[in-house]
Amino acid sequence: MSEHDPRTGQINRKDPDDAALVRALDGYAAPALAPDFADRVMARTKDRAAPMPDARNGRGKPWRSVRRLAIGAGVFGALASAAAATGLLDDLPIDLPSTEEVWATITGDTVPSTPAPRTNTIVEETGSADAQNRAPIDGPIDTPEELEEAFDTIDRLRENRRDDRRNRVDNRIDQVLERRRDKGLPAPDAEQEARLKQRLKEARNRRDERVDERIGNRRDELRERVEDGEELSPRDILREERGAAGGERLRERLEELRSLPPEERRQRLREFRERRQQMRENRLGTPDADPSVSEADTGIDGEESPQTSPSEPPEQ
Amino acid sequence: MTRGLAPRDDRLGQEAALVARIAAREEAALREAIQNYAPLLHRIAYRMMGDAHEAEDIAQETMLRLWDNAEKLATRNSGEMKLGAWLKRVAINLTYDRLRLLGRMSDGEIPDRADDEKLADARIEDDQKHAAARDLISALPERQRAAIVLTYYEELPNADAAQVLDMQLKAFESLLFRARAALRKSFEAQGDAGGAS
Repeated sequence: MSEHDPRTGQINRKDPDDAALVRALDGYAAPALAPDFADRVMARTKDRAAPMPDARNGRGKPWRSVRRLAIGAGVFGALASAAAATGLLDDLPIDLPSTEEVWATITGDTVPSTPAPRTNTIVEETGSADAQNRAPIDGPIDTPEELEEAFDTIDRLRENRRDDRRNRVDNRIDQVLERRRDKGLPAPDAEQEARLKQRLKEARNRRDERVDERIGNRRDELRERVEDGEELSPRDILREERGAAGGERLRERLEELRSLPPEERRQRLREFRERRQQMRENRLGTPDADPSVSEADTGIDGEESPQTSPSEPPEQ
Repeated sequence: MTRGLAPRDDRLGQEAALVARIAAREEAALREAIQNYAPLLHRIAYRMMGDAHEAEDIAQETMLRLWDNAEKLATRNSGEMKLGAWLKRVAINLTYDRLRLLGRMSDGEIPDRADDEKLADARIEDDQKHAAARDLISALPERQRAAIVLTYYEELPNADAAQVLDMQLKAFESLLFRARAALRKSFEAQGDAGGAS
């Protein structure tokens, strides 16, 4: 782009070719400002409203947002790749389909079956700390010794998990109380806190007693079966431990409920809801709670129901 | 048409100090800024708008924006600040807003407004040369108009004018070339029509 182009070049005041244009443009003189201009501006500053704060995205331009998104997507992809490469995803409870499974969904082929883990083995997941103490029991259990060994392993696991859960709950309670105190919100004093924890401890003990009693009964049945010469698979034991029988009882009760006349069924449900409401209200101090709802409602401290422990989901 | 100013570094420091004083709500500092910059802003606005009252409004609003934003400006630009460039940019943006508002309020395109204003202008100035020059400038699109006003009338270097218009230098030079071509073409057309002297 040349400055000397007669059509687009600089308008030169000294160039004779531009003289006419310069004369025309210079005729456009601006008038002077009013003499009281400054006074008027100063007067306007008195009643001037405060300026608006900066808009949140005031400095952001669209391309910046796009760039941020692109960078975010890139970083996420890099982290995901790194996690996959280091095998981190294998340690997380994320069900990722294998390449074969994805391919099968595309091609319509039969999805390759993955070997079911621990079909005939009790491998206790006691966490990394005591992973070396795992006590696998292979094959059927047909002697009282093996059965007791399985019970011991399951007890150890249950205690570990129960302690872990309760520690987490205790920590959570402490954190909440601490946070409330930091923020100046109403919080129990030391005496109230001690009373609360005592009631929590009592509730836990009651729960342990109930669970131990229920499990003890089931184990007695298992012991009798072994003594009668029956071979038990680890899955049988786990199912009993988790209360698969309880699930069957629940199903039976539901079936029974369905078979009732509508009016009676509604009445039973109403009573159930009332009992449940009563349980909620007396959650921290109801020694004679209805066992039919206790499993759902005694989770006062956020614990899982004993039916959901130990290692595998119940297989009905 | 430009003011004789101190060396660049000193000037930037002085302008930053002036903004800091305005941020501290020192009225004398705002008066000093008005004295230094308001005539320039008024000229720019007048040549872009072709209306003395609008130009004065724009100059006033620009100075008030300085009053409003002095604290933020002082925070962002401690030490050095191109206050003149900031004020010019605000004034030109306000001028764009007014031109667009006028363009929406009138039925025709913005350049046509110059023809409508000839009678009013003649009442005030009664100067055919003035009106012809104003018509030449008003016939340009707003950004080309700003480029001509800044570089021809205010004699800003291209780099400074590009900064005022928040443009890259190359883009500004391209705009300026188009503006000059349009201006010359318009001037020739005016001459053919017997409007130019």
